[in-house]
Amino acid sequence: MKDVRLDQIDEQMPASRVQLNSVGFAHESRVVLDGLSLDLAVTRLGVVGRNGSGKTTLARLLAGLVAPKTGSYELNGIDVARDRKAALGEVGILFQNPDHQIIFPTVLEEIAFGLTQLGRKKAEAEEGARAILQRFGKRHWETAYINTLSHGQKHLVCLMAIVAMAPRLLILDEPFAGLDIPTKAQLRRYLAHYTGNMIHITHDPADLDGYDQTVWLDRGQAREIGESSAVIAAYVTEMTRAGEADDIADLPG
Amino acid sequence: MISLTSPVRTRAHDWPAGAKLAGLCLATLGLFFSADPLVHLAALVAVLALYAAPGAQFLRTGLRSLWMLWPFVLVVAVFHLIDGSAGQGAVIVMRLVTAVALANLVTMTTRLSDMIAVVRWLTTPLRRLGLKTRALEIAMALVIRMTPVLLDKGAALTESWRARSPRRPNWRIVLPFTLLALDDADHISDALRARGGLVSPED
Repeated sequence: MKDVRLDQIDEQMPASRVQLNSVGFAHESRVVLDGLSLDLAVTRLGVVGRNGSGKTTLARLLAGLVAPKTGSYELNGIDVARDRKAALGEVGILFQNPDHQIIFPTVLEEIAFGLTQLGRKKAEAEEGARAILQRFGKRHWETAYINTLSHGQKHLVCLMAIVAMAPRLLILDEPFAGLDIPTKAQLRRYLAHYTGNMIHITHDPADLDGYDQTVWLDRGQAREIGESSAVIAAYVTEMTRAGEADDIADLPG
Repeated sequence: MISLTSPVRTRAHDWPAGAKLAGLCLATLGLFFSADPLVHLAALVAVLALYAAPGAQFLRTGLRSLWMLWPFVLVVAVFHLIDGSAGQGAVIVMRLVTAVALANLVTMTTRLSDMIAVVRWLTTPLRRLGLKTRALEIAMALVIRMTPVLLDKGAALTESWRARSPRRPNWRIVLPFTLLALDDADHISDALRARGGLVSPED
């Protein structure tokens, strides 16, 4: 850990403007996002909500992987679902499961892939990938095979692959699910050094330490938006109350 | 092919992938120009010497991955013994082992991205015709990357079955496994799209 030089890099990037205009999204007949409107300047934004509140759909939408079925979404004035080329510099996403994200069998190839996607030549991309490994103090991972890495290590590979592409906004979709306490703490430390903006989507408010704004998502709508401590306090109260009920019994429809 | 990786870094790792593949093609083709058992024995010994060159560890790993050829060797050998053409059988067996050993050698000492670069170069005429070859290149990477993942999923399904059944898992596991694989494919396509999809670097 001694040679991690994350703090030496460039200063914080300017805030990302996230504009959702009554966005609706449905899978078949099941409504997932229901007229969601947000207009925020994001540096660090938390999104909390229960399972099934539309968090993952919101993550995919914010990253431009899907377009809203109704309404519109622009990130810094760009329709990131349409203009994928411009989107690459604006937004990146870290998925819950690293096995869903890693495309190449070795660490260097995986990190270099994103850079070739940005139009770099192969040798240049590999040079950039090495520089990222260096910055994270993981030069010795270069030729490591993904299937020999631990779950936490795969997470870090995903993070490095995205940091290499340096998008202005990073979407995190429950990135710490299923990790043990030390691994979680270590990944948090790497994340904290990211100089881009972040939207961190989670069911666990403890993950949002240091996030100034938070959106509480409930049944596809923003139930509260505002200063984190207030929103999280209200969310925790409601979740504790809901925990005493038995809505797990409710079937859809 | 999936687990064909070298435990040590060899000099051959620094040779250009295209040259290694071209050499492999020529050598394999060459094996078909001779029916002399002595020539084939010499070729086999030469290849084994190549395996031994980077050290004992490399030799062990290499021979272990060649071991999977034994059923084929057995079938060919038994056929030719019954057929009474033992000499011919020996040539075929040696040719088979030499060719596969050479191919493994190239795979063990070449990074996947270099291999893909060769495929990209070879398919240049197709791109001239306006076909997109990026999908082919990424598909190669995905097969190598996802095979161990899918094997794990299959093992998990088998365990889940065995935890609740006294019988061995049978064909009924195929459908859920297929669905799992399709679900994974959905996620991977998201991941591809998140990083620019199938656009070629030059597009």
